[in-house]
Amino acid sequence: MDTPLDLLKLNLDEKVFVKLRGAREMTGVLQAFDSHCNIVLSNATETIYELVDGELKSSTKGSEMVFVRGDSVTLITTPSD
Amino acid sequence: MSFFGFDSSLPNQGKGGGREKRTATPDKPLDFDETYQGLGEYQNEEDDYLNNETFGNATDLGTDFDFGYGKGELSSNSAPSAAQVDHGRSYASAATTGPVVTNPGYVAAAPHSMDEGMDFTPMESLWTNQPMMMQHPQQPQHPQVLSMEELERQQQQQQIGVPHGQQQGYMGMPPMPPMGYGYAPQAFMPQAQVMPGAAYPSAPQGMPPQGLPLPPQGMPPQSMPPPGMVPPQYQQHAMAMQQQPGAHQQAVQQVPSVVSPLAQQELQQSPHLVPKAALPASAGVVSDFATPSPPHLAASKSASGQARLASPSQMAPSSQDSRESTPRGTRRGSMRKHQEPLSQDDFKRLQVRQAKVDKILRHSGVMTPRDKDFITRYQLSQIVTDDPYNEDFYFQVYKIIQRGGIVGESNKGLIARAYLEHSGHRLGGRYKRADVALQRMQSQVEKAVTVAKERPQKNRENFDGAKEGVLGKISSAKNSKAPRRQLQIPQQRDEDEDLGTSAIEDVVESLNGVDISSSSRARRRSSYAFRSVDQRAVLSRSGGRKFVLSLIETVYAEVLDLEALLRSGKETDSTHLWESLHIADDAYEVSPFISILSFDKGVKIMPRIFNFLNKEQKLKLLYCFFSELSHLNIIVTSSYKTNPDPSDSQLKKIELFQSVFLKIIVSFLSSSAEFLEVLGLLLALVKNNNVSFISTSKIGLNLVTVLISRAALIKQDVSRGSVLSSVEASSWNEIYDKLFTALETKLAAVFPPEEYTSKVVATSSNGTPTSATVGQSSGHQFYDQSYIWQFLASLALSGKLNHQRVIIDEIREEIFGTISRAEQLVKNVPVEEQQIALYQRDKLYQDLNLFLNVMGLVARDGEISELK
Repeated sequence: MDTPLDLLKLNLDEKVFVKLRGAREMTGVLQAFDSHCNIVLSNATETIYELVDGELKSSTKGSEMVFVRGDSVTLITTPSD
Repeated sequence: MSFFGFDSSLPNQGKGGGREKRTATPDKPLDFDETYQGLGEYQNEEDDYLNNETFGNATDLGTDFDFGYGKGELSSNSAPSAAQVDHGRSYASAATTGPVVTNPGYVAAAPHSMDEGMDFTPMESLWTNQPMMMQHPQQPQHPQVLSMEELERQQQQQQIGVPHGQQQGYMGMPPMPPMGYGYAPQAFMPQAQVMPGAAYPSAPQGMPPQGLPLPPQGMPPQSMPPPGMVPPQYQQHAMAMQQQPGAHQQAVQQVPSVVSPLAQQELQQSPHLVPKAALPASAGVVSDFATPSPPHLAASKSASGQARLASPSQMAPSSQDSRESTPRGTRRGSMRKHQEPLSQDDFKRLQVRQAKVDKILRHSGVMTPRDKDFITRYQLSQIVTDDPYNEDFYFQVYKIIQRGGIVGESNKGLIARAYLEHSGHRLGGRYKRADVALQRMQSQVEKAVTVAKERPQKNRENFDGAKEGVLGKISSAKNSKAPRRQLQIPQQRDEDEDLGTSAIEDVVESLNGVDISSSSRARRRSSYAFRSVDQRAVLSRSGGRKFVLSLIETVYAEVLDLEALLRSGKETDSTHLWESLHIADDAYEVSPFISILSFDKGVKIMPRIFNFLNKEQKLKLLYCFFSELSHLNIIVTSSYKTNPDPSDSQLKKIELFQSVFLKIIVSFLSSSAEFLEVLGLLLALVKNNNVSFISTSKIGLNLVTVLISRAALIKQDVSRGSVLSSVEASSWNEIYDKLFTALETKLAAVFPPEEYTSKVVATSSNGTPTSATVGQSSGHQFYDQSYIWQFLASLALSGKLNHQRVIIDEIREEIFGTISRAEQLVKNVPVEEQQIALYQRDKLYQDLNLFLNVMGLVARDGEISELK
């Protein structure tokens, strides 16, 4: 319990919410991570936000298992719901 | 050129060949060990006992030596003697006599016997089956008695007519200083010293890129060493010296069709040999060098590069006549007529082989054996570890998967053995040298192990202090650290201090006293304080989410440790694991253990925990579990009252809990629990919980069913021979009464309402089907009520007649409702779905009869009759 990544470790096998660069968000069960914040999520749902004619639209994508490269991760937390 | 930042711009200031230090630079200007940062800590340069042989005893200080570039030295017959000494110091002997690392060269073991019989016959086979016997008779002709002066004279005479190709070849090779660390700049210096530059304008030999390519002379395949002769190089020298009569022409021409590995090996080593061998003679022939003969010059120019080897035809203009000759032939004009018989194919093959050999030899001699030792040891030290299992975690797991076997304690030996097998073969193969190589590598491995053992301590000190920073753990050079294992959660020992040992006493005590009403535990937890599915509500009362999660990680770490111990066949001690479970931890309103079970990963680890707990610990664990069942997240989730709208993931959670934890409980109860212990658990459940609430959840009902049916089974089991004592019997009656009282008037509530079941069915058919529903296809799922009937059946089984009467009374409507539902199913169904409907109907009857049969009744075709 002495480093930030140890906190992340606590959430292994738990549902997490991940904010990514490029106005993307993901929720899924944290399967693995490393020191670069590369993470593997299972049952993941990705939400992509974009502005279309000044209106915020979002689309979602689901994947059973997904690898997220750490350099795009900006935030990892437990899901609000 | 500057190596290691060493200033090589002063070639003439006495920085000659490595061995020259004694004369030109008595006060060794550069310690090459420094270039290794002291990592290659070998003994100091003290094995200079060859110096006398190398330099002569009476050499004046300041004498200039030429190491390797003089012409005549090679033909001197002092060369073989130097070679002998050299060989004597080869690894063949080094390995047996002790840790002498000074001498470079893995040279074949064969030279051992050079002095006496010179029996090289075993090696002969290596040099293919070409007819080299013819060389034998010539061998004796080799003049071994020429003095240095004579040789010199001879050289002078030959200078014009005989090209000194051999010397050319060796020029390229940096003399190997015994110091070991390589091709120091000095190695190239003598070149400049000896050659004023005019004689060899191109002076290619001195340049590293060209210097390294191997001279063709060095190649044994071409110059068949007669058995019993010195290594090919010397043979070659000798031949060169005796060339003019042409007596050796045939011998020289011997071209083996196969380059044996050993031969190549030898080739690789040859650079080590050559310069040294050349040393003694060089002093006397330096002068020769400055006045090379024209052919010699021509040859040297064309022969200096690798290209010469690959395309001998290019040399035709420069040498006398080498149209078809081998590279060597280019420098031996007198032999060309003997080379005519070579067919084009042979020639091509020769070229290919030459190219290969050349490739092999290109960088030979760059590293001394000591360098190689150093690197080998360094590499080995990286793979050798004190804790092979943990370092190679994934590999070990893989191995287990592959072999299905148990991993032994040490694969250190395996690594070493594999390494030795491999490298032993490569270095010596199946030949004599294998032994030597093996011994060598063995000692390397030993050293590496020692180094590796010392290393971790050092690392750790540096590591903790310097590198461990705010950004988290810096992973070490080891690439095999398993993520799981990297976590080191400090044990929450302090909170375990007052770990109560009272749990089991509790059970016994409360059983003996049969004092149900009195609370024997100091901490009485309310079972009515919650009505929410919100996990956090419960978690916050047992230390918070983070605390519980960290507990789970600790538990995982403990279990992994114990499993590692188990694998290695050591004793396991579950004390730490037990403490990390916080089972009897009274510091929190809800036991942290109960909260651990709120997480899927906490449930999943349970079977592995149970592997290591003893019976007493298991009992305590279950006692805690049943006492605080109401707080169990899964109960709250699976109760239709608190969670009327279960989600897919919640249903999966329930499923998981059922298949994992319930299974453990059942197997523990049926395998090792005594009657009293079962009663104790049931008592804990009844005493500390709102049973009617628990019975509204599927899991809760399952758990109650398990307990009472187990108790009933033991009670009825006469074959056990142990008749229940009166105390046991009365305890059972009392506890059952208590349970029944808690359930009375609420028995109908065990049936979830219609809307709940339909929701569950809808959710499961959307997601993954779970055991909550039954059906042949996803379109015809229906809520599986068998667990309810099982509960009622076991409740009725243990109860007396009046109990059964109450049960039937309360659930009469459910019974008839089920029957009518079953009959309804078949009536209003199209023909094609008849099959499914019939199945569902049978299932409903089956479940219902489970209960009815206990009371001697059976439901069939819409009617209840007595069981016959």
